[in-house]
Amino acid sequence: MLTCKEATQLASKGMDENLTGRERVALWLHLAMCRLCRRYVRNIKKLHAVMQKAGAAGQALLPDSVKLSGKSRERIGQVLDGALQQGKKSRRKKN
Amino acid sequence: MAHELSPPEQWLNLYGDILYRYGFARVRDAAVAEDLVQETLLAALKARARYTGKASEQTWMIGILKHKMVDYFRKAGRENTREFDDRLTGDENNDFFDSQGHWQGDVSSWCSPDNLLQQEQFFDALQACIERLPPRLAQLFIMRELDGMGNDEICRLLSIATLNNFWVMMSRARLQLRHCLDLNWFNR
Repeated sequence: MLTCKEATQLASKGMDENLTGRERVALWLHLAMCRLCRRYVRNIKKLHAVMQKAGAAGQALLPDSVKLSGKSRERIGQVLDGALQQGKKSRRKKN
Repeated sequence: MAHELSPPEQWLNLYGDILYRYGFARVRDAAVAEDLVQETLLAALKARARYTGKASEQTWMIGILKHKMVDYFRKAGRENTREFDDRLTGDENNDFFDSQGHWQGDVSSWCSPDNLLQQEQFFDALQACIERLPPRLAQLFIMRELDGMGNDEICRLLSIATLNNFWVMMSRARLQLRHCLDLNWFNR
């Protein structure tokens, strides 16, 4: 008989991989008897569905406050400008 | 219809935050995510003559960022001379089971968030809970659940030694997230 700890691990594995017949039976037997693990499995399946939907919608799942800082924006801007100027110069040389 | 590129001078304003958020969600490190934005924009600058217009500009940029992220993870894996010991990730602090392997606390049953406000609240809680995962578990969980990447691919990218470690870590991430969501969303 599986413990709850083992059952949760097997249930999680079953979401990422096909379980063997033996694993499936063991999990099924445990879930048939354990209300908490049944709830757990339902919850992580809901979580999975939400994540898939968010992924398909291109959501990053980050707070809006996560942005480039002003400082790094400035630094990257300077590096990009430099590269652009460099590119223009080398093109002029070729012509 | 073929897409056209906007002037490179505008890229930082148009895509800086989008690229940063995409990268940060996956590498979980602000400094690394900033560097990735810079490398991506520089690479885009060099490659812009080869842009075919098949994908939108944003999709094209994110494609470049993904390559840069793969490089970063590879390098991080190489530089980490000591093998990651993932067997214990998170286990010490947070045990949800007693010594017999039974649940320590209750597991509540969630109702689906059924209106927009509830969905927003759920996402806020989910974001906060993902933030609180150990970084490697967060990377793993996002790659698997948000990006739908394959198990082997994730193990290679994150230098996870065995598939067994991968399953243990995924299970850990799910246990911790479920617990955190129970506390921060369901029981509010």
